[in-house]
Amino acid sequence: MAEQWAARLGGRVRRAFAQLGSVSWLLAQCVRAALRLQPEQLRVVLDMTRIQIRFTALDALPLCCLTATLLGGITLLQVFGQLSAYGVESYLSRVLAQLVIRELGPLMVGILVLSRSGTAMATEMASRKLSGELDALCASGVDPVQYLLLPRLLGGVISMFSLVIVFDAVALLGGFAVAWLQRPLSLPFFLHALGRAIGHRELAATFGKCLVFGLAIPLLCTAHGLRVKRSSTEIPQAVTRACVVSLGVLLLAGALLSVLIYA
Amino acid sequence: MPDPGPLLALEAVTLVSPEGRSVFRDLHWQLSRGARFHAQSGAGGGATALLRLCAGLAEPDAGRVLLDGVPLSAEGPLHPFLARGALGWVPSDGGLAANLTLLENVTLPLRFALGLGRHAAERAARTWLERAGLDQQLQERPAASDHRASWMTGLARAAAKGSRLWLVDRPLGGLDAAAALAAEAILDAAARDPEVTLVLVGGAWRSGLGRELSIGGGQVCSADVVPGLRPGTTWGSKGEHRERSEQAVPPFIADAP
Repeated sequence: MAEQWAARLGGRVRRAFAQLGSVSWLLAQCVRAALRLQPEQLRVVLDMTRIQIRFTALDALPLCCLTATLLGGITLLQVFGQLSAYGVESYLSRVLAQLVIRELGPLMVGILVLSRSGTAMATEMASRKLSGELDALCASGVDPVQYLLLPRLLGGVISMFSLVIVFDAVALLGGFAVAWLQRPLSLPFFLHALGRAIGHRELAATFGKCLVFGLAIPLLCTAHGLRVKRSSTEIPQAVTRACVVSLGVLLLAGALLSVLIYA
Repeated sequence: MPDPGPLLALEAVTLVSPEGRSVFRDLHWQLSRGARFHAQSGAGGGATALLRLCAGLAEPDAGRVLLDGVPLSAEGPLHPFLARGALGWVPSDGGLAANLTLLENVTLPLRFALGLGRHAAERAARTWLERAGLDQQLQERPAASDHRASWMTGLARAAAKGSRLWLVDRPLGGLDAAAALAAEAILDAAARDPEVTLVLVGGAWRSGLGRELSIGGGQVCSADVVPGLRPGTTWGSKGEHRERSEQAVPPFIADAP
């Protein structure tokens, strides 16, 4: 019984390492492909990156703003309520900055990008593979890593940065607006306190998380999409796996980065 | 000048289908530079599989495939022959990217593999698509076009790149008379270059084919078509094979070691 359990556990660990290995290999391929880019190929890749940014960042702006406003408002109301009880409302900006900028912003945007674009990437890659498009690209002299993967990675990172900046700004200002409806607060004071609360570590946490999440989501989702072999019934399974694994990685990497930066 | 060797060499290749059926067993076959083949096989006989092996899109279960002297592999960067756009791959469905228009499908490899600027690539693509009879469908996406247009676009793409090796599979659903004529004209233009190597599956055009490949039983056999006796057009409506030359010499194992 114990042996069976150990064997099952060992199998899972082995599979996890194999998966990590294949994703690392894909990342290495991307780096190599980026270094080999010729001028005209670079132009094509930049065109594709622009399209990716439009789909991942620009089209997600309304949803991002709505989520940020609601989340900022709710968070601020909760925090405000707690702080008011102790008469320390002046800490509002600091607590909010730490909560939104350090943790909530990158994580919520990561989940947003994963649910909107990550799933689309996994589905697209799986469909392209099954329909023979990837084969045709290779045979035509178009490196799929350069043409498909690289723009998604670049687009993912740039989109994450852009969306997190928008999310943080909207969450903080939206939160302030919601709080202001309850009790008139001074915007200059709020902004001044906010400016003092945002330090190097907050910026490092934001940039670190944006970079990691922006790379991890496209990489994991495309890797899972490319793993389909023969049947279209594999596509939903691949997308589900891509989502679950990516979400796990987001949470884990977010927690790890926070511990590294703030511990 | 040293002999560059065969353009393509299959060495002891064994290929098993996903269903576990043996497609090729210990196959040795070489394709000389400038060779012209018209491949025939029964349903599931392995003609398409042979093309996929030659293009490096199917990994053999044993043995290896050398293209221009370099082994083909699914891992790592693109094979140098493919990376410089020298392969004209025309699968049954044309092998087009669904999110690109027909024009963009031809333009993309010209920019990516040949390094042409956008405008030069579009000009070249337009020229060949017009020759393929697709001048009214340049901005259509493959989903809005029929199989004929997709396949003809694949053919135009191979021509626009100035491919050295053409691997052309039979078009899905066949071609109408006008498209068959346009396809023949494109293939004729390619065949004018003696360095160009062609393997056509399931179809032949009126001129230019030297040998006939017969694929089956896990092996590849070839026969010389008697000069002057031209195989009939076989990409007619519904892809049916009309009259083919009966006077080919008996098949033999091609370039077996």
